[in-house]
Amino acid sequence: MALSLSKGQNLSLSKTDPGLKNILIGLGWDARATDGQDFDLDASVFLLAESGKVRSDADFIFYNQLQSGCGSVVHTGDNRTGEGDGDDESVKVDLAMVPTDVQRIAITVTIDKAEEKRQSFGQVSNAFIRIVNEATGAEVVRYDLSEDYSTETAMVFGEVYRHNGEWKFKAIGQGYAGGLKAMCHQYGINI
Amino acid sequence: MTVLSPGANAPLPSGDLTVLIRHGMIPGAEIDVSTFLVTGTGKVRSDADMCFYGQPSVAGGAVALAGASGGETRFTVAPSRIPAGVERVIFTATIHENRGTFGQLSEMEVQVGVLTGKIPCSGRTETALILAEVYRRNGSWKIRVVGQGFNGGLAALATHLGVEIAEPAPTPAPSPSPAPAPAAPPSTVNLSKVSLTKQNSTVNLQKDDGRFGKIRVNLNWNQKAQKTGLFSFGSSNIDLDLGAFVEMRNGNRSVVQALGNAFGGFGTPPFVKLLGDDRTGAVTDGEWLEINGDKWADIDRILIYAFIYEGVPNWQQTDGVVKIIVPGQPEVEVRMNEFGDKRGMCAVASLENSNGQVRVSREVTFHKGHKEMDSSYGWGFRWTAGSK
Repeated sequence: MALSLSKGQNLSLSKTDPGLKNILIGLGWDARATDGQDFDLDASVFLLAESGKVRSDADFIFYNQLQSGCGSVVHTGDNRTGEGDGDDESVKVDLAMVPTDVQRIAITVTIDKAEEKRQSFGQVSNAFIRIVNEATGAEVVRYDLSEDYSTETAMVFGEVYRHNGEWKFKAIGQGYAGGLKAMCHQYGINI
Repeated sequence: MTVLSPGANAPLPSGDLTVLIRHGMIPGAEIDVSTFLVTGTGKVRSDADMCFYGQPSVAGGAVALAGASGGETRFTVAPSRIPAGVERVIFTATIHENRGTFGQLSEMEVQVGVLTGKIPCSGRTETALILAEVYRRNGSWKIRVVGQGFNGGLAALATHLGVEIAEPAPTPAPSPSPAPAPAAPPSTVNLSKVSLTKQNSTVNLQKDDGRFGKIRVNLNWNQKAQKTGLFSFGSSNIDLDLGAFVEMRNGNRSVVQALGNAFGGFGTPPFVKLLGDDRTGAVTDGEWLEINGDKWADIDRILIYAFIYEGVPNWQQTDGVVKIIVPGQPEVEVRMNEFGDKRGMCAVASLENSNGQVRVSREVTFHKGHKEMDSSYGWGFRWTAGSK
């Protein structure tokens, strides 16, 4: 059984799984079982410098730009329904390839057209983020968010970040109003 | 007061809870509020985990329907008594026979103590909604406001929650012969309601062992103050009283009603008991009679009536309805909707012992008083004027 973190906790990935080179960040949620418009959740990744901002728009990985400029981060594509077990969307990161001036990798999920559809994270069941060792398929750490959200339409699920020469993961669970646009603004992407 | 939007959750205070659902009313449609006790898989363990008008107390009383009227439904929840294995108590609203949508309401509210969940409804197409859920989290209980549902009404909701629903009663065809109630398979919850009308005035309720459990009879009516005229300053509350004539197999006859303090008895003859008389308006779910259906073999016939103790009879505004709830049987409903009569007494329904079955017939005949009703039904009591 993999380690499970609560909101705010962090874990050293390098110590927990010393052989970790390539990680798969899996994001999941349950498709709605009730009637009404489907939830379309989109995962986006921001590569952040020390300043907490992206270095350029090439550091924003999302459904229309599935790979970072540096090539270290690859988004495997949009899942429109949340159907199926396991990860609904995933992002692969080659840790060794991440540019040295990238301090943090923020993994976020936003609900597409949330305001128009009157949807929020509180209506999404069993959302989680997990880090998997891509080479072994072993889950290193997981964070279940279901109690930590309510009316948010955009959330930072977690961060993978450098700390004293190692990689760590932090369960963030921080929500924002205003969807992906607000998230981009926060991280210095001009839309 | 803390307002919760759909999706929001909050911890609940410890101890027993009262959950008040303000669902309002939809003209021409009836809103039923039910709760479901579900496990971690989101399904009920059995049909005994559904708390609704036909099964008002579940899990040994841990969750109970405490009353419904005037667009509000109240439940009591005792979290400490909820069985292990039940992870969530789900509160739902459904529109009977999908005769409307929740879009006809502006919003619904779920209130527990200082927490109020507000569910916007305009534009909705659903006819069944999950309003909120009370759930376990790390050893304590929380509430989440949900506001999601189904266009397919109760049937779709019940399937989602793992409840098997008995087929609804066939649409009654106009026929002079009594239509027997469909016998529900024992493993399913019977959600059908039988409305007795002029055309379809009788239903037979059958049980193999002849023991019907606690038969509950409810009289409810529009208790709102009514103005007596366009320029009138006065207004009066309507006080309707529920009562019954009971005749035993051995020929003994009794009257059960608040007038004269004849409240009857449940464990002792006449096995019919009136539960208090509310004249304060504090009880919003009307008046209740209980019939000891396990003693049905000793009972020959019961005539259920309503009378206006004070005020001018206006049966149209009163809009009274009597519901007869027999455990495991379709709920039987009789509306006092023969309007325009100024007489203050209405014989609503009769229950007859017909070879061990309970034969329920709609009466809805109006009379000046007890004596006149007595003579038209051939009971033969002796009457004197009385007061409460």
